[in-house]
Amino acid sequence: MKKIKSERLYLSDRPPLTPIKVVLLAISYVLLLLYVFIVLWPLAQILITSFNGNQEAYIIIGGSYSFSFKHFRYLFEETYFFNWVINTIVIAVATALLTLFVVSFTGYAYSRYRFKGRKASLMAIMLIQIIPTFAGITAFYTLHSILSAIMPWFSRQMFLVLIYAGGGIASNTFILKGYIDSISPELDDAARIDGCGNFQVYRLIIMPIVRPMLAIIALWSFIGPFLDYLMPSILLSDPKSYTLATGLYTLITDQYNMHQPVFAAGGLLTALPIIVLFIALQNQLVSGLSSGAVKG
Amino acid sequence: MSYGTTVRDDIGNEHPRKHLRLKERGELEVKLLQSDGEEKCAIEQKLRTQPVDDHPYEQALRKAREEEKSFLGEAEKRREACLSSIKDRDPRLRKWTCWLHESEARLDFYEPLVDMSYDFELAYQENRILARELPIVIALRRELLDELEEAKADLSSVGKEEQAAALNEFNEYRRQRKVSCAEEKEKIRQKHRQGLISSKALQNEQKRAERSAEEDILTKKRLLPLPKRRDRVRHIKHRLKVDIDSRWRVIHSDISDIRRKTPIEVKKRYPWLSMLTFPIPGLGQFLIGQRQKAFFFFLGTLFIYLAAIPYSLGVGNYRGKGIAGLISLAKDGKRLDRSIIFMIEGVIAVIFLVLAFLIIYMSYRDVRSTEKRMIAGIRKHNWFETRMVMRGKGFPYIVSAPAAILTIFIVLLPIAVTCLISFTNYDPTHQSKFSWTGLENYKAIFLGQGMAGGPFWRIMGWTVIWTLAATTLAIFIGFVLALLVNQDRIRGKKFFRTVYLLPWAVPAFITIMFFSIMFSPSGPLTTVLNQLLGNTDPSEMLNIKYTTWGTRIVLILLQGWLGSSYVFLLCTGILQGIPNDLYEAARIDGAQGFQQTRYITIPILLFQTAPLMIGQYTFNFNNFSIIYLFNGGGPFEPSKYGNLAGSSDLLISYIYKLTIQKQYQGIGSAITMIVSLLLIFITWMGFRRTKSFREEKL
Repeated sequence: MKKIKSERLYLSDRPPLTPIKVVLLAISYVLLLLYVFIVLWPLAQILITSFNGNQEAYIIIGGSYSFSFKHFRYLFEETYFFNWVINTIVIAVATALLTLFVVSFTGYAYSRYRFKGRKASLMAIMLIQIIPTFAGITAFYTLHSILSAIMPWFSRQMFLVLIYAGGGIASNTFILKGYIDSISPELDDAARIDGCGNFQVYRLIIMPIVRPMLAIIALWSFIGPFLDYLMPSILLSDPKSYTLATGLYTLITDQYNMHQPVFAAGGLLTALPIIVLFIALQNQLVSGLSSGAVKG
Repeated sequence: MSYGTTVRDDIGNEHPRKHLRLKERGELEVKLLQSDGEEKCAIEQKLRTQPVDDHPYEQALRKAREEEKSFLGEAEKRREACLSSIKDRDPRLRKWTCWLHESEARLDFYEPLVDMSYDFELAYQENRILARELPIVIALRRELLDELEEAKADLSSVGKEEQAAALNEFNEYRRQRKVSCAEEKEKIRQKHRQGLISSKALQNEQKRAERSAEEDILTKKRLLPLPKRRDRVRHIKHRLKVDIDSRWRVIHSDISDIRRKTPIEVKKRYPWLSMLTFPIPGLGQFLIGQRQKAFFFFLGTLFIYLAAIPYSLGVGNYRGKGIAGLISLAKDGKRLDRSIIFMIEGVIAVIFLVLAFLIIYMSYRDVRSTEKRMIAGIRKHNWFETRMVMRGKGFPYIVSAPAAILTIFIVLLPIAVTCLISFTNYDPTHQSKFSWTGLENYKAIFLGQGMAGGPFWRIMGWTVIWTLAATTLAIFIGFVLALLVNQDRIRGKKFFRTVYLLPWAVPAFITIMFFSIMFSPSGPLTTVLNQLLGNTDPSEMLNIKYTTWGTRIVLILLQGWLGSSYVFLLCTGILQGIPNDLYEAARIDGAQGFQQTRYITIPILLFQTAPLMIGQYTFNFNNFSIIYLFNGGGPFEPSKYGNLAGSSDLLISYIYKLTIQKQYQGIGSAITMIVSLLLIFITWMGFRRTKSFREEKL
């Protein structure tokens, strides 16, 4: 048997391994594993801390460990964590819907129609998307008080939705336009010959084809409010109306509220669904990002 | 402008004038241009003395018009006479039949007048189309109505027993079909057991069998007496709507074809109506006779005179004074008046005025082009044609209107306000009332003067260092990882990819806050670090958050950690897309593994990711959350940075502190403007080189 093994033909496409290559390969593995450790260690600490019943207000690493749900209990009973989750989800869903509604039309219009002012407004869109949303922070505050004077039901969260959706229009239009550009206009022509109007071409032909890209846009607009700290910290004042980012921040800055392990627990609960989402959809998310190559 | 002897229709064909007086005039005018001296005088004389109202043609035309008027005045009588003779009960059929009779009558009336004027010719042609097409529509509707009647009767005649019997039969069929389906599936399973088909095929075949059985049952169900007849009724109703609508569309487009081919003659030589009516959008359209279009422009008029203008004069403002408030900024105002509100309402007023101006301009352009076309001989659009234009050319404008409104008020308005604030002295001592100060803020920033402007250049310097260092580090890590992982011989690619994705997938604020805890004075990582360095004496203890460069280096490393995932994923995607032929060709030419990487992989990677990497640099330039959440911009070094900024503050977090926390909005806005212009410039330079821009594919 041994003989057969040594006489086996070398069937691989690759050239045979030389000793230098073995060493290089080993170094590669060492580097990769080292970075795996660098990535996982802090995340593991969050995970461990959040389940460690022996942690008090300040996190201590290397201390004794006892498994408990005490921090999670604290999170749900003593903080507004539940409110924050609801707020964030409502804002995220509303942002995604509004963005989809607005952008699906503009992407179609900019891709398929050559109208007056098209190039100028595309240029304007380009420039606008570069200016960061924070440029208007002074105005947002006052603008909201004017709006809520006219419409008392107009809450700060709604304003936040408008800001997120409005800020995303430019880049998302660009992404969607690029995607629709890649669909052959002959499909439209065929539909038109069969008697479709503009709206029908959009609804029956374009919409089904661009659905994957619309899903990506919706997903990004949905994730945005989960990740943003700046805007809600400016606009929202009542702890009950906070989003997750601002809410969790109070757990590590507020002198009276300080509970670092609870923050770890909240962070874990926030991160888990997003991590799952990212891992499941990584290819789509990356393609969505790279097609918006001009975004700043 | 001369009348000329011909008129031109919408397609571009020339038609001889039928209006004899205008034709004469046109001929004389043409002659006038070619003649000189005495002859010219004579022609001018003729032109001046040419009778207007007494011209024989005018008299004849007037007579014809009067006849037409009295003929049309009797239309009502004819209609009633006709109505009483119709046997149909359907209101639409009655209406259309009358219409048909009327158009036949008109056809006879206009026929002798065709040569007199193009208006009569058009009326003749239109009625000819109606007289030809209406019988078809009427017959179609009558037929469909009869069919519907019949189908409904059929539906209600289905007896209970009949339905029950059919249902029984159907149930029996369903049972049998299910049995046969099960048998079929069993056969497939047997094949699988015998090893004839794979388990994948087994699954597919079973599914197919189930589906075909389901479909057969559904088809049978649809053919039961009740659903079948119900379907028929629905079908006819649908046809009643759609088929007849489409016939009407054909009639309308035939008519607009005729309108395009039949010119119009007007006495007007100059488009004066648009000049006179432009202050009131809609009036011009109304006077021309485009009622429905006029209605929409009147809505614009309402907006202009009931909203835009009063608002800009200060009526209906929240607290401000319209445009005047923008200039005065509540100077000498009441105690409660706030300049910022005056400013924002002023900007809103300006936006309203611009919209108002746009509406006026659109309406003016519309009336003017209609008038000019009419002078040239082209008829005005009727409502059907206007609608077609709106659906075609107007479509992109209509659908992007919501986006435009949102962008104007949520994006442009705040930016404009920020721009204006940068020219004021909005600071802690002028919170409620500030005033215009020109370029003072910019001067303070560039010269580094004052409390707020002082640290600007220092912060700018750190921002540039930060942007370059942090982004380059992240790109480097991502690049190297991607190259390493995507080597042929590395196993466990999926595992590495998933792990390296994590820093990007975990919301950044969570990791940043967690690291902030770890590096706090008594935090775990600080302790570990001090143990490693052997510092045990509390006075010697290294404290990252209290030392400028300590904080800065940790921030850069942290961003390297956070940002590498994204670069890694992008590069991986591109690496997988590089065709293998390239490497094979290189190998044949004798390239070693390292050379392949150096001359194929890296150039492709760099080339394809360049625009996105520029994006990464601008992202870090504005990376507020990492700075603010990690150490609040600290540590604070009052001797160098004053009381407002910390030594790790970027411009963006400095702006945040100035405008939100310390109330130096004036200076903060000025810095915002500088940053934005800088970013726009850099991105613009980068974008100009991209392919899509150069190929004008925008």
